[in-house]
Amino acid sequence: MATTTASAQLAEAGPGPLAEDPARHRRYTNRYAGFAYLMLAPAVILLGIFVIWPAIYAVYLAFQDWSFYKAPTFVGLQNFTNVITDPLFINAIVRGLKFVLMTVPIMLVLAFLFSCLVVSVGKRFSTLLKISIYLPTIISTVITSIIFTIIYDYSGGLLNWAIGLFGLDSIPWLGDPKYALKAIAIPAIWLGMGLTSLIMVSAMIDIPEEFYEAASMEGANWWKKTLYITIPQMKNILLYLLVTDFVAALQQYELPLVMTNGGPLDSTMLPNLFIFSHFRGDPTAGYSIAAALLLFVVLGAISAGIFRVVNSEKSVD
Amino acid sequence: MHSHTPAQQMKDLIPMIEPHRRARTRRWWVGGLLKGAVGLIFIFLALFPLAWMIIAGFKAKTEVLETPFQFFPEVWHWENYVRILSDSAFLRTLGWTLSGAVLFTALSLTVNSMAAYAFARLEFPFKKTLWVTVITTMFIPGMTILLTSFIVVTKLHMLDTLAVLVIPGAASAASIFFIRQFYLNIPRSLEEAAELDGCGAGRIFMRLFLPLSKAPFVVMGITAFLSYWNSYVWPIMVMATPEKFVLQQYLATFRSERTSELGILMAGSAMAAAPVIIMFLVFQKQIIGNIKMAGLK
Repeated sequence: MATTTASAQLAEAGPGPLAEDPARHRRYTNRYAGFAYLMLAPAVILLGIFVIWPAIYAVYLAFQDWSFYKAPTFVGLQNFTNVITDPLFINAIVRGLKFVLMTVPIMLVLAFLFSCLVVSVGKRFSTLLKISIYLPTIISTVITSIIFTIIYDYSGGLLNWAIGLFGLDSIPWLGDPKYALKAIAIPAIWLGMGLTSLIMVSAMIDIPEEFYEAASMEGANWWKKTLYITIPQMKNILLYLLVTDFVAALQQYELPLVMTNGGPLDSTMLPNLFIFSHFRGDPTAGYSIAAALLLFVVLGAISAGIFRVVNSEKSVD
Repeated sequence: MHSHTPAQQMKDLIPMIEPHRRARTRRWWVGGLLKGAVGLIFIFLALFPLAWMIIAGFKAKTEVLETPFQFFPEVWHWENYVRILSDSAFLRTLGWTLSGAVLFTALSLTVNSMAAYAFARLEFPFKKTLWVTVITTMFIPGMTILLTSFIVVTKLHMLDTLAVLVIPGAASAASIFFIRQFYLNIPRSLEEAAELDGCGAGRIFMRLFLPLSKAPFVVMGITAFLSYWNSYVWPIMVMATPEKFVLQQYLATFRSERTSELGILMAGSAMAAAPVIIMFLVFQKQIIGNIKMAGLK
């Protein structure tokens, strides 16, 4: 038949091309499904056994009265009310917030100054600066603790020798509840500066040079340029760093664990260290898990809240 | 009038430019000096504790905590480093930790890159659900699952073995996410060409994606190695036999048990930090370059 069109011929020839047959199309795109599951299996199984299952189990145990020695019994919210009404836990949270105030603002201000310096010097010097600031970050908490414990030593430590030059008496930095938390804040800043600084540097490099050129033409000085260009341009990254540093500082517990084990007189008993000590010391685990969950939920809510504010402002801009 | 070459013309112009430039240079010079000084302070604060540790490793026992403080030792005690490096317990710990770290790094690169490839390039039912599940694990804090993970590894009879150090942390949503981002940027056309040559998904992964993965593997590998090398809390929970302690445990124990041997402790700490410092210095370009991505994820 001379009048038959090409498409009619195709239709006669049987099932249409791939796109016209959804089932066959799906079969084609999913042709490697078996292989995909094989590739995913190791990671998904490992995450399932060592992350997802423990997380579900933790939520379950938080509502149980349970220990290694007896079967769990359901106690409802009892563990949570025990945690919230425990002055020791509340004190640990307050102490954690104090620790945040001792570390995060200093870190952000220092990192900001550092970034201003890095973007204004030559390539070689800026590379040297970046390497130096990041080097402490890769050092372990244990080694950091050892170094700083010895620097803080009462009778022969470097710090007491240094303040002695100014005629001050030696201070038992890690032995006096008045100073211990501050003494731990310093190695925490030393360890944490690297990442904060380098993220800030990369954000600062991204600010278009023209903004500064225009400001210079109008006679703006460094301070004005920082206040009206740099900080507003970096608003999002600064808030991001504020949140992540806040969360990280509130969760710090390895430093006090190794340096003071929470002492003296609980003065360095940060929230996670409090929970960790409970884990190890108390056979009834429900309390510790409930405390860890509560801390996580509160921290998550705070971060989510802040990010929400940031994002909504961003959409207005 | 005589003709000027461009170079001569430039020379004639220089006296006219000079005074202006000299003024700018002086201001630049003062600013540069200030920047240099501030920069040196940053470098000093960052590196001093490390330098002090390495130097203290050369001091006699009593000299580490000696008033008045002296940065350099009176006599260089090389024997601290010699003793720690010939101490069988330290060497065993070093070897044990190093082999664990290498295994851990290899395992985590394998497992995570395989998953990343599937998520980046293959289609399969429940892909989205699985992806969301995997990403969600990124937000589960370690402290919440510390005890229940401990219960799990106890039930699996993994306590006090290499497996308990290497296996539980090997799969990581952050690594899968990171490598997937990299794989998403590999052009489809490369894959199509390979497919025309008759390669299936398996061969495309082995022959195409793995050889192209050097950059993300360096970054992820170092991250994994560092996290294993520096881990302390998990090992103290799951390792009981002192002969099987990892490096950080060994150092913490050394500090509390042999308190007077500070010179050797510092030498040991320096030796424990040396591999990661060297690794960082070798790969600093990739690591620092990657931080931009880490910040904006």
